[in-house]
Amino acid sequence: MEIRIAGLAEESIVDGPGFRYTIFTQGCPHNCKGCHNPQTHDPDGGRLDDTDRIFEQIIKDPLLDGVTFSGGEPFCQCKPLVCLAKKIRSFNERKLGIISYTGYTFEQLMKRSETDPDCKELLSLLDYLVDGRYEEDKRSLELKFRGSSNQRFIDVKRSLKEGRAVEADTEYL
Amino acid sequence: MIVKIKKRDGRTVTFNIEKIAQAIYKAAESVGGSDYETALELSGKVVDMLMAKNVITPSVEEIQDCVEKVLIEEGHAATAKSYILYRSMRTKAREMDTRLMKVYEDLTFKSAEDSDLKRENANIDGDTAMGTMLKYGSVGAKEFYEMYVLEPEHAAAHENGDIHIHDMDFYTLTTTCTQIDLTKLFTGGFSTGHGYLRTPNDITSYAALACIAIQSNQNDQHGGQSIPKFDYDMAEGVKKTFRHRYRDNIRRGLELLADVPDNPDIAQKCADFLSKRGLVPTLANDNGYMEEEAQLLSSYADAKVVKKIQNFAFKNAIKETDRATYQAMEALVHNLNTMNSRAGAQTPFSSINYGTDTSIEGRMVIKNILLAEEAGLGNGETPIFPIHIFKVKEGVNFNQSDPNYDLFKLACRVSAKRLFPNFSFIDAPYNLQYYKEGDPNTEIAYMGCRTRVIGNAYDPERQIVTGRGNLSFTTINLPRLGIKAHYSIEEFYRLLDAELQLCIDQLMHRYRIQASKKVKNFPFLMGQGVWIDSEKLSYNDTIGEVLKHGTLSVGFIGLAECLKVLTGKHHGESEESRELGLQIIRHMRERMDKETEATGMNYSLLATPAEGLSGRFVKMDREAFGDIPGVTDRDYYTNSFHVPVYYKINAFEKLAIEAPYHELTNAGHISYVELDGDPLNNLSAFEKVVRYMKEVGIGYGSINHPVDRDPECGYTGIIGDRCPRCGRTEAEHRKSAKERIPRIKVECSAADKT
Repeated sequence: MEIRIAGLAEESIVDGPGFRYTIFTQGCPHNCKGCHNPQTHDPDGGRLDDTDRIFEQIIKDPLLDGVTFSGGEPFCQCKPLVCLAKKIRSFNERKLGIISYTGYTFEQLMKRSETDPDCKELLSLLDYLVDGRYEEDKRSLELKFRGSSNQRFIDVKRSLKEGRAVEADTEYL
Repeated sequence: MIVKIKKRDGRTVTFNIEKIAQAIYKAAESVGGSDYETALELSGKVVDMLMAKNVITPSVEEIQDCVEKVLIEEGHAATAKSYILYRSMRTKAREMDTRLMKVYEDLTFKSAEDSDLKRENANIDGDTAMGTMLKYGSVGAKEFYEMYVLEPEHAAAHENGDIHIHDMDFYTLTTTCTQIDLTKLFTGGFSTGHGYLRTPNDITSYAALACIAIQSNQNDQHGGQSIPKFDYDMAEGVKKTFRHRYRDNIRRGLELLADVPDNPDIAQKCADFLSKRGLVPTLANDNGYMEEEAQLLSSYADAKVVKKIQNFAFKNAIKETDRATYQAMEALVHNLNTMNSRAGAQTPFSSINYGTDTSIEGRMVIKNILLAEEAGLGNGETPIFPIHIFKVKEGVNFNQSDPNYDLFKLACRVSAKRLFPNFSFIDAPYNLQYYKEGDPNTEIAYMGCRTRVIGNAYDPERQIVTGRGNLSFTTINLPRLGIKAHYSIEEFYRLLDAELQLCIDQLMHRYRIQASKKVKNFPFLMGQGVWIDSEKLSYNDTIGEVLKHGTLSVGFIGLAECLKVLTGKHHGESEESRELGLQIIRHMRERMDKETEATGMNYSLLATPAEGLSGRFVKMDREAFGDIPGVTDRDYYTNSFHVPVYYKINAFEKLAIEAPYHELTNAGHISYVELDGDPLNNLSAFEKVVRYMKEVGIGYGSINHPVDRDPECGYTGIIGDRCPRCGRTEAEHRKSAKERIPRIKVECSAADKT
């Protein structure tokens, strides 16, 4: 399926535990002050890629622990990401985890899931969600995998089960 | 009548016809002549010729021109040829003298920032007195060897950049490096030439003497010094420290709990008595020492109190031994970054290998050397020396159930912060073939830079790492052969074979000089029995035979550019180039093996480390052949068999492409992986790379990542929100913008950077 992306990082060590294949989706409505990647905001920018092609790339690399959706705002492109996430889930040779970043909060996405089945499905396919806008005054370099201290590293499976955001301890991932 | 002549330096001296006659006679003699009368007669003709020209005070050059003419005209062709050759050689020597003096002038009056020569080795401070002194010696020696020692064809090949003879300033003096067996050296004590040192008695002196051994041996060699089984060697010191600490705490316990004063020293007597029976207290506490001791002590206190004293002593002795070990390791790291060798101008190039000793004492050494490295130097900065190499072995430290797995994890954490340790892999088949369980001498070790010495054709019974090293190495400029071959693979192999032969001959030429040296030329290396079998020689014996345990290595640079010029693509870019690359390097290895078989000497193939050299070759090739895209258009040729650093490639692919070369380059190899980001925040990724290296058959690997440097206070290391040294926040820093520095790359043959 077609997906609009800003870029790819094929062996990232800064977007979650282990080696991640990171997909930077194109287009973001949040406009956070001090954003690291302002070129990813324009919904018509970046370039078109194909989720099947990306999937083939991912499974070639034996070092990968998982895939990370970043951006841009991944939840602006739920459909192709669901398509890709499903393929990753059905890949059995190695266990690959899925993490997504988002500028929305977990609670906002739960609310949206009531009316948006794609959003709901994407959430259900994730292991972890790093949520919340980037707030410049809360920036710190010492946060693992996060930019500002308001953001949370959420264990999605547990959170969905318990119906509230449960944070994961990044020290033990 | 000629009365005076003008010398080259402008002075006029009395003319003497005998001098001309002697020169002619010498030339004639060299081609079989023996007639001085004719020589004298010819000299007369030279004088006639000069007079006919109306020259009154001829210059030396004018006289020599006439001698040539007369010899030719009078039909002495062979003598004339010999005379001309001699004359041109003298001219060259004179030019060289002038050149050398010019270099000396630069060394004397220019500062390091204006003089390439003074800066060519980052390890030497060219502005200091000792650094400059070393340079005088080094450049003088090189000129002398090129002119008078090397075979002319070897000198020419070096001079024009076909090959590079490493550490040429030491050509006639010494060998490259040694893997030092500290346990053997410490047994019975040793001498540094200025003082005798007894067998050390605790971990503090073990570590101190380790540094002294490295320093002393460094003064006898130009390359690196490596300790191949550091943990096993130091474990002995830990054992001794534990014994002392245990005895001290027994003494304290006796005084406090049983009112036994320390005079007479019961604790000492008790320890001495049991040690005569072969019993000593051990960290493992598994030899029945404490039971025997309890009986001896029963006359001073009742059983319950004795038990209490022993428990107290045991517990505290462990704690104190651990602490003492940490401090000893901390001191070692500091010492090796500050002590000097080689005329006081350089720190020794030191490496330590460890990771496989599973004894309690060995584990204590490994843990504490890692923690000391993690802590860094005085201001917390990253130490450059020693280079740490963690030996990875399945069943020992690789899997969760292995006894030293915890130390492997610790090694990953420390490396993620400090860039060291690097990792070596005993399980790679070409390393595993030498491995004998329980014999650390058979565990592969690497010099920090990558040199590897284990196989031994000279003495197949002793395929071990200890007491051995490289004798010398010479590197082939592969891209140039590729350029000269004009797209013809056959022509390339023809050129390569000729070059290999040249290198093999040159290595043997150098070996013969080395072999004529005596034990007394190497007071530590040979005099103290550091080099294998040298303990069997006496002071005035030559060392040629024992040197045969060492290796003679041919190296190569720029496989990537060579492939590029031959096929248009390097081995990162195409399958076929990958195949061809392996074929070329295998061909080179087979030539080495063939020579080994024919001579019984250890010829081996090296993935050459010297980065400075890759710049020298490309510069010369650009001048000779112009800008060739992808070949001569960068500042450096790619190191050995590496996929070019500028080429974007995933870590897994790079490692898989480079691994097969590790097997072929038996004189040493290394592969680097660059991580973009701080791996301390992602240790599972770091560990994964190490595990993957093992899986694909890497022998020796290193993981690089950016290290921060505070431009204001100079702190080097990971900087979070606050600089650990100056304590300022990032916002305060932002004015001067934090810079990221690349890994500090250090080179092996420290004296040689041209």
